Amino acid sequence: MTDRDRRRFLRTALCATASSAAFGSMFGKLSLAHAATAPHLLLGDDYRALVCVYLYGGNDSFNMVVPRDTSHYNTYAATRGPLALARNDLLALNPTVPPSDGAQYGLHPRMGALRDLFESGRAAIVANTGPLLYPVTKAQYQSGSVAVPAQLASHSDQEVLWQLPQAETLGARLGWGGKLADIFFASNSNPILSMNVSLGGENVYQAGAQVSPYFMSSYGVEAMWPVGYPSSRRDAFDALLAQSHAHVFERAYVGKINRTRAVSAQVGAALDTLPENQSPYTAFEAAWANLPSPRDMPGIGRELRMIARMIALRSTLQMTRQIFFVGVGGFDTHATQLVDHAELMEDLAIALKTFHDVIGSASINLASKVTTFTASEFGRSLFVNGDGTDHAWGAHHVVVGGAVNGRRIYGTMPSLIGNSNTNPDDTGYGQIIPTQSVDQYAATLAKWYGLADSDRAIMFPNLARFPSPNLGFMA
Amino acid sequence: MQSALWIRVGSLMAGNRVLPAGHQPGRALCLSLLLASGLCVLAASAAAQDVLFRNSFDLPAEGPATAAEASRFLTQATFGPTLIEIDRLQATGYNTWIDMQLAKPAGLHLPFLDARAVAGDDVYHNIRQESWFTRVVTGQDQLRQRVAFALSEILVVSDRGVDDPFAVAHYYDLLVRSAFVNYRTLLRDVTLHPVMGTYLSMRGNQPENLAENLRPDENYAREVMQLFSIGLVRLNPNGTPTTNPPTPTYTQDTIRGFARVFTGWNFEGCPTNEYTWCYPYDEPRQIWWRRPMIAFAGFHQSGAKQLLVYPGVVPSTGIIPGGTATVDLDAALGNIFSHPNVGPFLSRLLIQRLVTSNPSPAYIGRVAAKFANNGSGVRGDMAAVVRAILMDSEARNPASAPANAGKLREPLLRLTQLWRALDARANDGRYREWYPDWWAGQAVLRSPTVFNFFLPNYSLPGEVAQSGLFSPEFQIATDNLLTTGANFLGGAIYYYWRGNPDLSNEDVSVDLARDMPLADTPAALIDRYNLLFMGGTMSAPMRTVLINQLGTLNNGNLTARRRERVQDALWLIFTSPEYVVEK
Repeated sequence: MTDRDRRRFLRTALCATASSAAFGSMFGKLSLAHAATAPHLLLGDDYRALVCVYLYGGNDSFNMVVPRDTSHYNTYAATRGPLALARNDLLALNPTVPPSDGAQYGLHPRMGALRDLFESGRAAIVANTGPLLYPVTKAQYQSGSVAVPAQLASHSDQEVLWQLPQAETLGARLGWGGKLADIFFASNSNPILSMNVSLGGENVYQAGAQVSPYFMSSYGVEAMWPVGYPSSRRDAFDALLAQSHAHVFERAYVGKINRTRAVSAQVGAALDTLPENQSPYTAFEAAWANLPSPRDMPGIGRELRMIARMIALRSTLQMTRQIFFVGVGGFDTHATQLVDHAELMEDLAIALKTFHDVIGSASINLASKVTTFTASEFGRSLFVNGDGTDHAWGAHHVVVGGAVNGRRIYGTMPSLIGNSNTNPDDTGYGQIIPTQSVDQYAATLAKWYGLADSDRAIMFPNLARFPSPNLGFMA
Repeated sequence: MQSALWIRVGSLMAGNRVLPAGHQPGRALCLSLLLASGLCVLAASAAAQDVLFRNSFDLPAEGPATAAEASRFLTQATFGPTLIEIDRLQATGYNTWIDMQLAKPAGLHLPFLDARAVAGDDVYHNIRQESWFTRVVTGQDQLRQRVAFALSEILVVSDRGVDDPFAVAHYYDLLVRSAFVNYRTLLRDVTLHPVMGTYLSMRGNQPENLAENLRPDENYAREVMQLFSIGLVRLNPNGTPTTNPPTPTYTQDTIRGFARVFTGWNFEGCPTNEYTWCYPYDEPRQIWWRRPMIAFAGFHQSGAKQLLVYPGVVPSTGIIPGGTATVDLDAALGNIFSHPNVGPFLSRLLIQRLVTSNPSPAYIGRVAAKFANNGSGVRGDMAAVVRAILMDSEARNPASAPANAGKLREPLLRLTQLWRALDARANDGRYREWYPDWWAGQAVLRSPTVFNFFLPNYSLPGEVAQSGLFSPEFQIATDNLLTTGANFLGGAIYYYWRGNPDLSNEDVSVDLARDMPLADTPAALIDRYNLLFMGGTMSAPMRTVLINQLGTLNNGNLTARRRERVQDALWLIFTSPEYVVEK
């Protein structure tokens, strides 16, 4: 046990007062009238979950999906120079429909787990996607004749654009996951636990007008032990919360504390019913322990494992619609990219595969009811800066699940010609102009999730500007 | 009423001291009471260089008028009020207290790490965290340390990007040393610090090589503008955008220009033939981290560079012809520093760290004006900026502040406040609080990214966002961190108290004994904590709840009863809505 773990263990042990009695009483309060009254919904026990795996920093997807036929590979290798992956190391993809440019593609050599998902039809690549206001060509971009989103290539701004239902910050920053939850949350019988659960901290994606996410730690749920005993202390604590508060921040804090206490007690007690010596708990650790060079499970593994446990508890927690969020850092590979990116790619692939396998295993059996997708603020420049790459725009993404029309690459693969003047997809700065919008990507996922076509234009106001509202990668 | 006499606390005073710019001793008629000797000294010389106290006849409204006002000020300017510091501030007055703080020698962190290494400890970033707690809980240079901490959340580097704890401590020491220097100097020192150079990959940056399709790294070029100086959109002097929709401050061409500027820098000591990969892995080279980067002529991008364009910029195109790495760097940093955004942009960020999440445009404007001109014609004087932030009517007089002024207290500042007020330490004097991030969601220079633990423009969805307010610290007030924070403070109060026989010599413990006699009269205890922790702002209903709760604790053992009352008072205050929102 590391020193850090020891301290965590000691403090958690000191705090272990979550009682199953409290859990039982919580469910006594469930409102029957609350159940399943949402519109546009497939009722019954038709569970569905979306899992957003957010890659913070901007994933270099041009080194994740790489051409492997001689002609296209040579263009790539000339452009990427010292960062070019060796052709023989690429993991061949054999899509059922040839990619738009007639090229053959392979995955990063450390993504064997994702290759398996792709080849078995459980994963798709969505090509060159990014925030757009309208379809825009190179000539239009350079002349400024077609509007593009503000503050492109800024981490904090493009991060938000990727999580909104339109690539502009109009008024409140409500994410498309949050807006979906505003429609569907009433289908969950549990009035306490939010439909949206974040393992990756605060994010725009899950913020709705009515629904705000529950924030969990991948290490588990703590109860607030000082309010456990004596009861007079709890009563005083509650009385201080219940007083009238003039300051907006005080009211916001009260709301958060009240909800945290109720939800944590419930979720903590539910998690206690899942043994930690069997799947889904153990499968994730094994995935990294069984590598040729075994490693400790990284954060993305811990976070997806917690999501798998939450999904396994869906009946106990009375959830039929959920949206999860995972945040993975480290993708801002301005330097030492070859080494750093390889491990990130491996972790991503293993995590996606393990999660999919666990969700599809007999005890959960929801492979086609849970869809996992990547998001990341931007792709990276074709130009190399020595040992890394810089902020750019369009990028490839990955969608995984039993409901995915897998083993295909959707959309148009961009040119990787290194000369900005002659590359038709290049802004002029080594940044690739997206040919599919985040709106289309999101709307395709939202339709699978149950969003009615009649609500689509309301949720995605700019969607009609693009050729198709559905990119076709979901069944 | 404020006393007409300034009380001089002898032990706090150095001898002759030159006052910083902006202070005007010439007008002062000082009455100083030397407590140590009991002598009253009348200093009336306009020429005296060691005059330290303003005359209250000149500034009758300066204050603090009450202990509560003093405590409130100290919450903004230090890591937490103590009874002694409240007395001291009441005796000196605000401006003199600030003067004294500006003159305090810097408490540095690298020597602490070096000492632990000499003592035989394995020094990782844990010792750097320990050094921080030691300095901010016990150090005399409170204002300097508080400003350095604020700067560390603006000029962000992180130990997640730089492994060497000594190197990161040296960077933090730069912020400590530079808390009150000119921002132009600080920006240059930060730019050339090898930790920043490594963190934002400016170190080792190479010129373009079209044949190999290489371009200079844009990382530092972008973030030095977006985060450290001017921000994304053109600002008025009061921080509001100049246009609607806002006008961007720079384009991709500007980024490229600055990326070309920031080429040709690396460790002093890096052999030229190792420019692209040198790194101080081994012991003798670790000294490299402690020296500014130097220019490597063969690796600097030649030719013209596009810099920022703004009203009054010279040349008006913003294009410089290009010279040596040093010439280009100074031209580029000068180009940034003179941008009209720097004052309002930086002022707002510092006000948010010290006083309030939502300063009025007028408040930002007043501080930015001090940035533009400290009164002596100097732009960028950080001492003047800090004083302006703390002495502004919006900081000092809650009645003149906008509705909903204030901020959610950062978790780390809640702990330091508790520890300072209750003389916390381990029995061996140390502070082994090595991993605060797991319960607080923050630890000094351990941000997940260069965007800090929370964003200045984060707005909590719901009523906060609907009210048009920013609430940076709420970004880490997630369900799990609210719980771990409340529990951690619970441990610090209910378990880690001095004298608890279950503690080891290494556990940091609070001293409850001083306040336990007060617990026999719950109102007296609550009033003391209202002063220490809430600047006297506790509402009557909150006070009643607390007094009633303490009255229910009637352990038959007197010592236990007193301790339990003190503990409940502390924890209930530290988790209460009125306390966590500093106003």
